[in-house]
Parts: sequence; C-alpha cells; structure tokens
Amino acid sequence: MSAYAATAPSGGRRFSGGQWLRGGVISIMALAVSAPLLLILYQSLLDAPFFDTAAKSGVGAYRFIFDDPDFWMAVKNSCIIATSMAAIAVPLGAILAFLMVRTDLPGQRWIEPLLLIPVFVSPMVLSFGYVVATGPVGFYSLWFSGIFGGVPWNVYSISSIAVIAGLTHVPHVYLYASAALKSLGSDVEEAARMSGASPLRVALDVSLPMIMPALLFSGVLVFFLGFEIFGLALVLGDPEGHLVLATYLYKLTNKLGTPSYHLMAAVAMCIIAITVPLVMLQRHLMKNAAKFVAVKGKAGRQRPLPLGPWRWLATALIALWLILTVIVPLSGIALRSVVNYWGEGVILSEVLTLDHFRTVFDQPALMRGVWNTLLIGVIGGGLAVACYTAIGFATHRRPDGWSRFVDYLVLVPRAVPGLLAGLAFLWVFLFIPFLSPLRSTIFAVWIAYTVVWLAYGMRLVSSSLLQVGAELEEAARSAGASRSRTSRDVTLPLIRHGLLASWLLIFMIFEREYSTAVYLLSPGTEVIGSLLVSLWATGGADMVAALSVINVVLVGIGLGVALRFGVKLHD
Amino acid sequence: MKSVIRFTLALCASAFLSAALAQVPAGYPADYAAIVAAAKQEGKVRIYGATDTAAATPLIKDFEALYPGVKVEYSDMNTTELYNRVISEKAAGGTSGDVFWSSSMDLQIKLVNDGFALTYKSPEVAKLPDWAIWRNEGYGTTYEPIVFLYNKRLLKAEEVPQSHAELAKVLSTNAERFKGKITSYDIEKSGVGFLLITQDAKINPVFWDLAKAIGGASPRFQSSSGTMMERISSGENLLGFNIIGSYALLRAKKDPSFGIVMPKDYTLVMSRIMFISKTAQNSNAAKLWLDYILSKRGQTIIANQSELGSIRADVEGDLTAHGLAKTLGNALKPIQVGPGLLTYLDQAKRLEFIKQWQQTAAARK
Repeated sequence: MSAYAATAPSGGRRFSGGQWLRGGVISIMALAVSAPLLLILYQSLLDAPFFDTAAKSGVGAYRFIFDDPDFWMAVKNSCIIATSMAAIAVPLGAILAFLMVRTDLPGQRWIEPLLLIPVFVSPMVLSFGYVVATGPVGFYSLWFSGIFGGVPWNVYSISSIAVIAGLTHVPHVYLYASAALKSLGSDVEEAARMSGASPLRVALDVSLPMIMPALLFSGVLVFFLGFEIFGLALVLGDPEGHLVLATYLYKLTNKLGTPSYHLMAAVAMCIIAITVPLVMLQRHLMKNAAKFVAVKGKAGRQRPLPLGPWRWLATALIALWLILTVIVPLSGIALRSVVNYWGEGVILSEVLTLDHFRTVFDQPALMRGVWNTLLIGVIGGGLAVACYTAIGFATHRRPDGWSRFVDYLVLVPRAVPGLLAGLAFLWVFLFIPFLSPLRSTIFAVWIAYTVVWLAYGMRLVSSSLLQVGAELEEAARSAGASRSRTSRDVTLPLIRHGLLASWLLIFMIFEREYSTAVYLLSPGTEVIGSLLVSLWATGGADMVAALSVINVVLVGIGLGVALRFGVKLHD
Repeated sequence: MKSVIRFTLALCASAFLSAALAQVPAGYPADYAAIVAAAKQEGKVRIYGATDTAAATPLIKDFEALYPGVKVEYSDMNTTELYNRVISEKAAGGTSGDVFWSSSMDLQIKLVNDGFALTYKSPEVAKLPDWAIWRNEGYGTTYEPIVFLYNKRLLKAEEVPQSHAELAKVLSTNAERFKGKITSYDIEKSGVGFLLITQDAKINPVFWDLAKAIGGASPRFQSSSGTMMERISSGENLLGFNIIGSYALLRAKKDPSFGIVMPKDYTLVMSRIMFISKTAQNSNAAKLWLDYILSKRGQTIIANQSELGSIRADVEGDLTAHGLAKTLGNALKPIQVGPGLLTYLDQAKRLEFIKQWQQTAAARK
C-alpha cells in the first residue's frame, strides 16, 4: 500500500480533473452535513429560537437538562438498550449471514427477503404490532394465557424494548456481514471443513474473523442506532414512563409549552458527544484494515458448506428469530387492519372488515403518499447510493487528512435524531436563500434523507471497497490508467454487488423513514411514514394498520421484483 | 366609437359586479363583493391545519363549490409542527400559510398575541358566543366536549363514573379494579393534555383530591389520543379521562366497545382556534374561508360531517352547543379563547404545575 501511495500523484503538485472532482465531492458533502449541524450547535447555546431577535447566548440549556433527573434516566436507558442491541444483533446477524451465504441451508432464496423485513417496516408500526400481538390483551397474549394461565413477559418493560430493538436490528448486521462474505473466496473455509471442523467452528474461527471490518462497522452502527431508537421507545416505553434520549428530546418539544429548540439542540449535542468517541474507537480498531483484504486477483469460486445434521439447528434458529421479529408483530398489524376492534372479550370472526382498506383507496392524499413513498425509495434511493459511492471513491486508498475528516463527518448526522434533523433541514431551506425554492419539493426530502442516512450507506459502500485488493487497482495504474479510470473500470465493477445491495437497503430505509420528513412535507409530497405519524396522533389506528400493511406489501413486491430481475443477492 | 367602448366596459363591469354580488351570502355587507372578487383574483387559500384531512375534506369541497375559482390548499400537520412552521417561516420571510387552524388553543393565542394575526371582524361575529372570539383576531370554530371514554364490554354500566367527583370516588374505593387500567394524556408530552388538566385544576375545587385518587390507580399516561383510544378499545385500559369528544364519537360509530360519558358536574369544551396570517398573501380568500367556517352553512358541515361540533346556537344536531346544552346545561364549560390560555406558557409556572401533578397523580413506580 505504501508503494502505491508513493506512485499516486500527490495533491501538492497540480490539480488534475480527478482532484477537482474529489474536492468538489468532499466540499458538497461537508456542507450538507455541517450546515444543519452547526445550526444545532449554535441553537444549543441560545435561550430562544435562533431566529428570535431576543435570543441571548449562554449555557442555560445544558444546565436545564443536566439538572433534570429525567435526562439521566434517559441516558441510562439508552446505554442499556444500545449495549444489548449490539450484544444481540452482532452475533445473530453474523451467524445468519454465515448460514445464508456460506452453507447449503435449505430455502435460502425465500428466507432472505423475510430477513430484511424488520428494516423496512417503520419502528412505529412494528411496535404497534407488538402491542396488538403481545401486549397485555394482545392476540397472542390472550391465547397464551388461555393455555398457561398468564404471560411471563411484559412488553412495556425496558428489557423487552432492548430485546426487541436487538432482534429488529439483526438485519443491519446481516446485510453488512453477508455483503462482506459474498466477496470472499470459500477456499479457506473448505480447507477447515475438510480438516474436520464443525460448521459452527468454521463460522466462528474462519469466516467471521475474515469479515471483522464489516462486523465492527455494523456493531458500532447498531450501537449508534441504539441511541437513536425513537418509535419503539415511544410506543412501548410510554405506558410505564420509560424514557430514552430520543423520547426525552421529543418530550422537551412540549414540556415548556412552546417548542424548546435550545433544550432539544442541547440534548442532540449530548448524543453527538456520546457518538464521537465511538467513531474514534472504531477508527482505532480499523487501523489495520489492510490485513483483512481477501478478494485477490485469483479469488476462487464460492462453494456452499454442507451443514449436515446441523441444518436442523440452523433452521430452528432462523425460524425462531423470524417468528419473534417478523411474524408476531406483522401478523398482529395485519390482523388489526382487517378488524374493527380487538382485545379482551372480542370474538375476532365477528368483527372482520375490509373497510379500512377501502377508506385508504378513497382518499387521494393517502394514495399520493403511497406513490411518493415508492418514488423516493426507488429513484431517491438510487441517487443516494450514487452520492455515497462518489464520496466513497473520494476517500478510497487515500489515507490523508481529508479522508479522516470525511470518515468522522459521515457518522455525525445519524447521531442527530431524525425529528430534529428534519427541523434543522427546514431551517436550512428557509434561511439559505438559494435553497428556498427547493423546500416544497420532494427534492428537499431527498436531500434530508440522503444526509441523515449517510453513515449507513457509506459504511456499506466502503465495506465493499475495502474488500477489493489494492493489487488489482495497482495493476491498472501501472498499465497507465488514471485514478478515475481505475475507479471506473476496475473498482466499480468489482463492487457492483455491494452497490446493488446498498441500493436495496437504502430503498427500504427510505420507505420506512418517518420522522425526518415531517417538517419538510407540503401538500402533494406526503410519504407514508409521516402520514402514519399524523393519523396515529388523531386516533386513526384503523388507517395506520391498513396503510402499514399496504406499505409492507408494496415494499415486499418491490423487493420480490428486484430479487427476481435485477438485483441478485446470491451470485 | 368611444361610446361603444365605454358601453362595453360598463357592461363588463356590471356583469362582473353582479356575478360577484350573486355570491355575497345573505346578511353580509354589500362591499363584501369586493372581497369575493379579490379572492377570485388570488385564486387560492393556503391553510395550515391540525384537523386531519378526512374531517377537513367536506368543508373544503363545500367551500370550493360556494366560491368557484378559489382553491383550497390544505396542509395537515400536528399542532407543534404547525407552530414551528409558522414562526420559522415568518422569521425567514418566505411563503407561508394564509390561515392557521389548530386545536392547540394556547399556542394559537400565543401566536395571536405575538402579532401573527390579521385583525378582521367577521360578519358572523354577532352569531358567535363571546367566549369564542379574541380581539377579532383569533376565533374558536368548533365545540368539542372533553369526555370520559370507557370500554363497554369490560366495564358494567353501574361501575362507570358519571362525573369527576364519582371518578375520584370510584378510584379510591375500588382501586384494585382500576389498577393500571386508567389512561389519560401525558401532560409533559402533549400540549393539549396539559391545557385540559390545568383547566380542570381551575374549575374543579377538589381537583387535587381527584389527582391523588388517579395516582393511586397507577395510571398509564399516553402522548396521543390515538394510543389512548386504541387501548381502551382493546380492554388494556378500561377508562380514559380528558379524551377529546369529537375523536371518541367518530370512533364510537364504528366500534361498539366505546362508551362515552359527558361528566355531569362539569364538561370542558375545547374549540379549535383559527386566525388569518398578518402577512397572508391571499388575505381576501383567507377572509372568505374564515367567514365560511363560522357561517351557518360551514358550521352545519362541521357538526354533521366533520363531527367537530358547532359553536353556533342556530345549528341543530347532537354535537352542537345547542344540542349539548339540552342535557348538560350549565355544566358545559367552554375554554375561554383569550389571554387566560397563556398563564402556563410561563416556564416556571408550567414546570411547577407538572411537578405537582407528577408527585400526586403519576403512577407509583
């Protein structure tokens, strides 16, 4: 790598077209990330909205939240949740990836789309599903207590929230881990298996260590997401008053009567303060990324490992996870969408109805929401991945200050809870004159989504990039290709599966995002996520259930089509 | 030749004027035609509303039929979002809504007091109750009783409290039955919930005894009426108090599990406040909309199709000021549209109240 760096044209000499491009990409990204962020920092140091002429500066906002016992309770709960999420999601996600990519597990083709469901269902919907299915009078709870005389779980406890959050984040790890595994040759694993190692041993001692970068990235990211958990904690934490940082921030919206931007901004700064050391830790762990390079010029074909009798255990594990994470909540919400009401003492067969769906189809605003959601997912998602790839190339194999800068920067937006990020973007679009015409277009929503999910997409793209051996690029460079030519003709084709997988992931993420767009929406640009939030608040649980089912079905169809025709997750 | 032109012009003008005049509602001043004509020039009115689109749609359709050529652009958002957008858009000086319509009465009055509202005396003023008008700027537009909601399947008729006093009694004598089964707004998270509970505290002389009884039953506080209603319907909770009646009635139509009680000792009445933006680009169309909403025609739709309740005494129906007065009489306590709503926007007072409420009424953990 050092030889490669030496032969690369250095930035000091003169600016080539490629370098201008790189500079441009980095500056645009820095601007898009830092504008809302600086606004939040500035806001946290005031005592009124920043555009209020009477606003005075000071640290009163911080003093207020540090004096508030609720804040410390939220910090504690967030730490518990984030830790258990990482502890649950990383091992399970890694094992799932190994089973799906590396073994002859039966039924992989139809299991894979199911694995991804928790990612593209809004957490609001999922938690509502859990309430309907496993709450005190939920469908399954009533059935269970009919047989056993009681239920051993309490879905509103902090440990339930932590476990559910962990289980629903398994797909995040799975996607990173499987993308990494797919680009590895299977020769080493075969050697281990032939020497008599059990499949579990192969997974733990051979395959998973090889994809350590992907696991570390996803582990840290899941930990981040733990601090950002909102919908789940809102729906499940409310009845017993469990707060996490994001719901504490939400509570501050109304606690003082008028929205307290300065307090919200101060909480956001605290969340960022927690995540920045994590990024540093991650960088420290990743210093020797080069030792994980495994796609060499002569990478062999992948052959699935025979599981033998282990296949039953593996199938049972996946089935259990699927039942808990997908089938229980989604059957709950699906059932809710076809009944008028439910609960203790209701005979479900007497209350069946399709009216909720009819109402959705009759309301143009709701139907517009459905179309816009698809649009922003498919086209917006593709454009976002293009941006992430451009940024990825701007830092790829350039271990300089700029790359470090970008690495830190991409992780920051995710630390800001979606609701506040959305508000910050509204301010950006309002107060930066040349951006204001964009505010009422779906483009504004797209920019906000793209920036908010930057860390996510970037990690996927750079995980793929890291897997490409430097010698392949060096070969092209020695043959006289320019840096951009090398990227275009060598690296890009090699990471195309990673990119398609990221498109799929981003598509699903954009489909279910619900908080970021709230402030940017105007008539004609509704998306399902924000419709759900507003319907939920006014008591339209019927519509919420029907719309969620439509959302899940549409994305399911989209996913099916993608798997069938374009995107091949298995290759 | 000149006279021909003059004649044609006069003809056009009179045709135009009479077309406009034809649309001036009965009893309105003659110069209202000028507003109608100007509104048609503007062509649209932008409304930011916290009333969901389903309830607003019948009003929008009828308004557009009444004034063809004036289109309604309705943006449905929640109350906090609405407030945020109004103040930030004003500060930025870009385009904003023409009319703001929200159930968060205190935030609306704050906006009015902070100078966001256009002063406009609606021709309908004489037909409206005094409590619903503030400075000819903010207008109460709906009549929504605040009710107890309970689960009919699981709660026997004789168990259901009929007043706030009975609620306190039932909870203290039968605490086990209601343990973890009482629900209401989390007043820290919901502005409306806070507003209602402080009104309770103002009207009910033994409010803190009630709060104590509630606290003894380990209540489950929620941030929105949707979550409360869903849980009462399912039987997870048995009884909710301070539920907005219009939402409850709408759902009770489809869901026979719901029983509604209008408390006999006093029933609070909430009213969505509407005002025209001082900087409205379509101020004439905005005036037409406000007047329409307050008119008998608009209020009839509000009561019978939007299910939000009419404030006008001359509108018939179950959910109107007129209809409710027959059964509840003086127990109806409409929340005064005016600066009294601002009391608890004072940070120290608000935090003090929240603290006292939590110490008394929050679930003992």
